[in-house]
Amino acid sequence: MTQTRRFELGMSPHVGSSQTTRKIMFDVVIALMPALAAAIWFFGPHALLLVGLSVAAAVGVEFLCLKFMKRPLSFAFDGSAAVTGLLLAYNVPPGVPWWIPVLGSAFAIAVGKQAFGGLGQNIVNPALLGRAFLMASFPVLMTAGWTAPEAWRSGQSGLWGTSAIVQEQLAGIPDADALSGATPLNVMKQTYDLDAGAAQARAEGDETAAAALETRSEAIRSSLSSGPTYMNLLLGRRGGCLGETSILLLLIGAAYLVIRGVLELRLPLSYLGTVALLAWVFGGPGWFDGDPLFHLLSGGVILGGFFMVSDMVTTPVTPMGRIIFGLGAGVLTMVIRKWGGYPEGCSYSILLMNLVTPHIDKLTRPKVFGEVKRNG
Amino acid sequence: MIRPRTFSGGTHPPGHKDLSSGKSIVRLPAPEVVRVPLCQHLGAPSRPIVAKGDRVVRGQEIGAQNGYISLPTHSPVNGVVLAVESGPMPHKRSGPLVVIQTESEEGGQVFEQWTDFGCHSPAELIERIKLAGVCGMGGASFPTYVKLSPPPGKKIDTLIINGVECEPYLTADHRLMLENPGDVILGMEILAHVLGVGKCRIGIEVNKPDAIELFLSRGVDVLPLKVRYPQGAEKHLIDAATGREVPAGGLPMDVGVVVQNVGTAAAVAAAVRDGLPSLRRVMTVTGGGVVSPGNFEACVGTPFTDLIEAAGGYTGDVSRLVSGGPMMGIALLTDGVPVTKGTSGILALSASEVRDAAEGPCIRCGKCVDSCPMQLTPSMIATAAQYENWKAAEQLGALNCMACGTCSYVCPAGRYLVHYIKRAQDAIRAAVAGKEA
Repeated sequence: MTQTRRFELGMSPHVGSSQTTRKIMFDVVIALMPALAAAIWFFGPHALLLVGLSVAAAVGVEFLCLKFMKRPLSFAFDGSAAVTGLLLAYNVPPGVPWWIPVLGSAFAIAVGKQAFGGLGQNIVNPALLGRAFLMASFPVLMTAGWTAPEAWRSGQSGLWGTSAIVQEQLAGIPDADALSGATPLNVMKQTYDLDAGAAQARAEGDETAAAALETRSEAIRSSLSSGPTYMNLLLGRRGGCLGETSILLLLIGAAYLVIRGVLELRLPLSYLGTVALLAWVFGGPGWFDGDPLFHLLSGGVILGGFFMVSDMVTTPVTPMGRIIFGLGAGVLTMVIRKWGGYPEGCSYSILLMNLVTPHIDKLTRPKVFGEVKRNG
Repeated sequence: MIRPRTFSGGTHPPGHKDLSSGKSIVRLPAPEVVRVPLCQHLGAPSRPIVAKGDRVVRGQEIGAQNGYISLPTHSPVNGVVLAVESGPMPHKRSGPLVVIQTESEEGGQVFEQWTDFGCHSPAELIERIKLAGVCGMGGASFPTYVKLSPPPGKKIDTLIINGVECEPYLTADHRLMLENPGDVILGMEILAHVLGVGKCRIGIEVNKPDAIELFLSRGVDVLPLKVRYPQGAEKHLIDAATGREVPAGGLPMDVGVVVQNVGTAAAVAAAVRDGLPSLRRVMTVTGGGVVSPGNFEACVGTPFTDLIEAAGGYTGDVSRLVSGGPMMGIALLTDGVPVTKGTSGILALSASEVRDAAEGPCIRCGKCVDSCPMQLTPSMIATAAQYENWKAAEQLGALNCMACGTCSYVCPAGRYLVHYIKRAQDAIRAAVAGKEA
């Protein structure tokens, strides 16, 4: 009889797909690269500096946390911390000082992710939690750090430079009010309010007040260095957070993720669809006269919709749950845009929905194959 | 051609069927010593009725049926019993077997040959199928006669022959359909006669166009199916063929359907027409771990080592030996195990083919939920099982899992999802059994 041979055991299935966590994370990193190129083009080398420091801080803090908690250090290099660092940087104004994204990333990883148990365990999107932390801690810098696109070329800021307004803020110069409306959404929100006030003043017969409000509205409108034409919005030639402006390049990144089988479209489509619908219903000055396209192209919903609403860890796993999550986040985004204190509601809407993800999962469990309704 | 049907969920692992799909079935003679397992099927092992030193002939019963879900076992050769002992098995750690020194593989004792099965009643045919020891040849190895004897009140109206062979690598059913369509069709006719059904279809995945063509040309009602794992799972085949959903925890007969594998149909044909008990079967010996993969027909009781040798022996980087396919097959500790009636394939995987053993944390990507053919939430069940929260696992439907392995296959974190779910199933069943006792 032939000699027998012994083998190592293993559990079925004995083969696996080529998809790995690491590959997914690095695919997301790759998908975010085109938007980084746009950020550098429009906001200068300072943007690259912010992104680089943010990623380095995220990976570094992850490494330190793992070391401190005596967990495998390889987790720091699985790409997930890099994604958090990238997204955090993409969500800060391009003119903030270098330590802002560093602080944000450190908070995002240490408190938003590792405190909950690391990869896969965090309840809310760490990058967005980091941004919320920055918004709460440095409200002025985080809302005044806008820079006009391509201004860096005229030498307004260098590699280590921050926006003029930030420099003024840091130097303690108080009133920089006129410039603070440099993003299209900001402009829209303020001018709608001012125009509404002017109309009301005129109706009450107060011409002087009305005229004053209109002048101010006009001034804010002109503070946008380049007009918010659809083409400018699509390319990213507008004020806004570092990585959110170039819609076109973000969409190219998203398409790459879809082709790679990483991005599942239920979440982004239900989110963006809801935003577009509600933008049309009440996104304008009155009812049913909003501009859905403007709402999609300005602000952060494209970055949010394709890269943060669709974050795997913090969103539902069930197909129906994903649609509901997108709907809920879309409604909250538009409620904040319309009635909230911030011009943009994307990040808070996602954070809020992250909190109800476990409940959505529980309530939307699919019907098991062959399961019949009991007592039905 | 009609649009191929399928089911929702599932995945599409690379087939690797071209390693062996072009290789004709090679009939191996019986080895010098056969080690015939007394339990080759689901249910109770047969009771040995021979002892050391006994002379046996081919087709002679050496193990008697032992209970309802059990089958008799026959000697595949003429020879002398060397021992009745216990030894390692491909489907479990060890089991009873009869070791026979082969003298020849000719003649012997067979049943009466029924050339016209139409003259025999369903009851007679079922008895023949039972006495011949025919069990499901697709993998689960359930005694065929039990499947053909639905309890009164269950009306069967459809017979489906399973020629899907959705497990990657395996090509035994494909080759059998190509090389022996007559037996498959005869078996199908006998089974239809036994069940008294008018409707009978054969389901074949569209990656076997030659088999589809062949059966269509013979006037068989072929159901072309999309290439999608696990298309060959009984419940999903029924869904695709009839649109009927087998109730959770139920059996195909609950929706009036019986499913039989093509190999089983051929075995039924041989049992009835030739009076031959189930003594041999076709299997694929393949994978990057053998030199020349192929399809072989061998006696039950043939050691795996002989089949590996027939396939040219191991390559240098063989890493894992599996009985069955790569998705649901069982890893073997040793190749010193015998072929059983359920051995559809012997897979020797090279190191590069075997999945990475490292397991990472769940990143909640939801791929397992999207692809579960039973529409379960594998990640949640597995997590409940890891915390040994059996109650939660049961509420999540753990018992509905058929362990097809799709979730583990697609999981980017490489979690052993099926393993955890199986653990939960065992614990839940043990708790139920404990309550009943």
